[in-house]
Amino acid sequence: MKVSLFITCLCDTFTPDVGKDTVELLERFGCEVDFPVGQTCCGQPAYNSGYKSESIQAMKQMIKAFEQAEYVVGPSGSCVHMLKEYPKVLAGEPEWAERARKLSDKTFELTQFLVDVLKVEDVGATFTGTATYHPSCHMTRLLGVKDAPRILLENVKGLNLIDLPMKEDCCGFGGTFAVKNSHISGQMVQEKAEHIEETHADYLIGGDMGCVMNMGGRLRRNGQEVKFLHIAQVLNTQ
Amino acid sequence: MSIKIGHKPYAERIQDGLNNAFMRKAVSSAQGRFRSGRLKAAEELGDWEDWRTLGEEIRSHTMENLDYYLHQLSEQVEKRGGTVFFAETAKEANEYIQEIAKKKQAKKVVKSKSMVTEEIGLNEALEKSGCEVVESDLGEWILQLDEDPPSHIVTPALHKNKEQIRETFMKKKGYTGSDDPVELAAFAREQLRQDFLEADIGVTGCNFAVAESGAITLVTNEGNARMVTSLPDTQISVMGMERIVPTWEDLEVVVSLLTRAAVGQKLTSYITALTGTRLEDEVDGPEDFHLVIVDNGRSKILGTEFQSALHCIRCAACINACPVYRHVGGHSYGSIYPGPIGAVLTPLLDGYDDHKDLPYASTLCAACTEACPVKIPLHEHLIRHREIIVEREKMTTKAEKMMMMGFAKWASTPAAYKLSTKMARTTLKPWTKEEYIEKGPGPMKGWTEQRDFPAPARERFRDWYQKREQRSDQ
Amino acid sequence: MAIHHREAFLDNLAEQLGRSRKRNVEAPHYSVHPQERVFQGATQEELVEKLEEQCKIIHTSFMRTDLERLGDTLRSVLLNYDVTKVVGAGGSRNEATGLTNFYQEIQLEGYDVHIWDEAKGQENVSFAERAGAGIVFSDITLAESGTVTLFNDRYNGRSISLLPETFIAIIPKSTLVPRMTQASQLIHEEEKKGNLVPSCISFVTGPSNSADIEMNLIVGVHGPVKATYIIVDDL
Repeated sequence: MKVSLFITCLCDTFTPDVGKDTVELLERFGCEVDFPVGQTCCGQPAYNSGYKSESIQAMKQMIKAFEQAEYVVGPSGSCVHMLKEYPKVLAGEPEWAERARKLSDKTFELTQFLVDVLKVEDVGATFTGTATYHPSCHMTRLLGVKDAPRILLENVKGLNLIDLPMKEDCCGFGGTFAVKNSHISGQMVQEKAEHIEETHADYLIGGDMGCVMNMGGRLRRNGQEVKFLHIAQVLNTQ
Repeated sequence: MSIKIGHKPYAERIQDGLNNAFMRKAVSSAQGRFRSGRLKAAEELGDWEDWRTLGEEIRSHTMENLDYYLHQLSEQVEKRGGTVFFAETAKEANEYIQEIAKKKQAKKVVKSKSMVTEEIGLNEALEKSGCEVVESDLGEWILQLDEDPPSHIVTPALHKNKEQIRETFMKKKGYTGSDDPVELAAFAREQLRQDFLEADIGVTGCNFAVAESGAITLVTNEGNARMVTSLPDTQISVMGMERIVPTWEDLEVVVSLLTRAAVGQKLTSYITALTGTRLEDEVDGPEDFHLVIVDNGRSKILGTEFQSALHCIRCAACINACPVYRHVGGHSYGSIYPGPIGAVLTPLLDGYDDHKDLPYASTLCAACTEACPVKIPLHEHLIRHREIIVEREKMTTKAEKMMMMGFAKWASTPAAYKLSTKMARTTLKPWTKEEYIEKGPGPMKGWTEQRDFPAPARERFRDWYQKREQRSDQ
Repeated sequence: MAIHHREAFLDNLAEQLGRSRKRNVEAPHYSVHPQERVFQGATQEELVEKLEEQCKIIHTSFMRTDLERLGDTLRSVLLNYDVTKVVGAGGSRNEATGLTNFYQEIQLEGYDVHIWDEAKGQENVSFAERAGAGIVFSDITLAESGTVTLFNDRYNGRSISLLPETFIAIIPKSTLVPRMTQASQLIHEEEKKGNLVPSCISFVTGPSNSADIEMNLIVGVHGPVKATYIIVDDL
């Protein structure tokens, strides 16, 4: 199975390890992974801020970059969902909308791809420690990926998974919201940090680097000694 | 009152909200109860998604044929002895009601809870005409005594604690009891009972009108709406024009959704369906009935991409699910309609000038959309508002516009993307300590005010990947 | 009786919707009907059980009796609430259930009883205002929510179930239906047949309550503070 990796601009720049783990994971289950170098950002920062025409420029670049791909897989529910919105955003340009639809149809979030397409529920990982998982809003509510991460994590040997109180609440990231409404965002992520504290977990696991960076940044600011990881980093342990 | 409450700018309102520790605690615990109530009620009922689908279909069908159903409703109300007044503006509605009060030489008007009368500022209008207006919903009465606007559309005095309420009762009504909620409520019962008996006019809102029979239904728990519609001789019901369903069978579905989504009840204590005046051989109920149907900006929403905002059944499930609301409270929105639905509706009804910040008061986490019992895509409406603010209203800053144009160029030009991500680590070096930035420059400031920002990695993913490819080629 | 400013108002709506005025709308076909599946096929006895269960949630006492013992049951309820002033709905059901006799008996025992009678005008309301308990018959009873449906009319004033502190509903077992779905279907059918819908239909679920003060549930605000349902088996 040929898979083109959609790395997301955050992972590309800030957490390349997440990309490496994603590649290795997919290869382990027989995928032939390539990396289309023309990819940039999915356009969400502009789209969600109301800059539709600006975001469309990014979208068209992404459509071009992945045109040849058989499957597109990315380690982010939020960015993958943005790709899935392309046909709607480009509805005014039928030719682009059609190309967008093709991209949307073949695009999957990593855990979704593992569970739903590759039919893998146990990746054979071992990770010793106590962790809690934050199910990101776009992954669960917009993309509808609710069970896959939980199924995969429950099958990781040695992992003691503690339920995060009020886990379905947003961490306060919200893209530009974190900057534009930083005071509100700060209170939201503080509440999240307190819930993480309540679990006494050593690790915080997330499926979206934006949210992980937000929560991790607050944990670090608070001096909380919780390590934060992307789910791919846990699943690719042996 | 009108839609807009207060004059403070957005940033100040938010800060007031964030600084109000009691309010935040109260809202947070209320949200917890509301949410678990809603989820439990939905689970007990079963097939919740089917119910939501049905709710959406009913609301959507009604809105598509709104002129027909309002016509049918008005015919039926007239047939049952009522008078119907269609008001395009708040002013028209108020003047009509003032006229009735004048004709009746009304001294006292008693009201049950109604958001639309808050919206049009009916109380002030009636007071101007010399009427005493008494709010009879417990929460609304507390706010009226304290001259404070509502902060929630279902439990309007959510932001007040019992000590504050006791003090208000003491100051304004000579209360001498404790701050026990049961005692406070008993005092309200006793005080307001006299008002119900003395009132010349009863004013209600309308949860749903039933077009086929002309019934106005009120969904309440306290029983005050029944008092308002049983005791005074004149009843005036004010409804937003979208608050209508075609048939009784449709009513049943939206009421089932409303009570569950709002408070987790199967039904509230009272669902009261009132049709026209009391019949000739009846003793209680009004002998004169007026229905005022209010547009006040709603028709501008019809036929637009925001039409589904009119499907709202005012259950506040979105407000109770919203993590932003939890931290800032209702007054921060500067509108009588707070929370996600408020952020969608307020700019539509009252323009962007005063409310352009509201669509951004959301992380777009979609908890609202998920909670909505009639499937209004609230977070998508918020994005659309942002587009309008940027593209049509041109209300954003030049700096932001420049930045976004830069973003577009960057994200559509792989070479620019590659270069900047390669340079990022070096660019941020002056602010980086131990792989983190604790005090960032420019647009990063908002971020680092609240949390640390990671330094860009030494080696990007694409560099690693390229090297790996080269290795495997060799 | 009149309709003001209608045509311009509705013309504007049609224009906003991008079409001419609709003079006729076909009844829509909705894609799902979850409301019909609730308690589908439940027997009358099962509905009684559901009602009893729900009464616990809505702070309402549940009693079960038969026609013969109805008077005794009511007497014990009044004693229990320590009520001496009673307002009851009028109409032919009092005779049919033996309540006429019951009311006469308790009057002899010293109770102050008033049967709603439109001829007495406002006196009905002022008595209800002072009464300790109001007694009504349920017209349709909703098992799911524990709701008593009252078709208010000349015999059954709105005030009886509203003004006294205690609300007592006599529920003929035959009036039990699964939920509001069946009640609204019935009202819808009556409406279609051209029958007059009552000027006031009250769906009453237990005593009044409020959570407006710090979300504390307060039972008993403007309406009744206490409620008892009496299911009568052979009615």
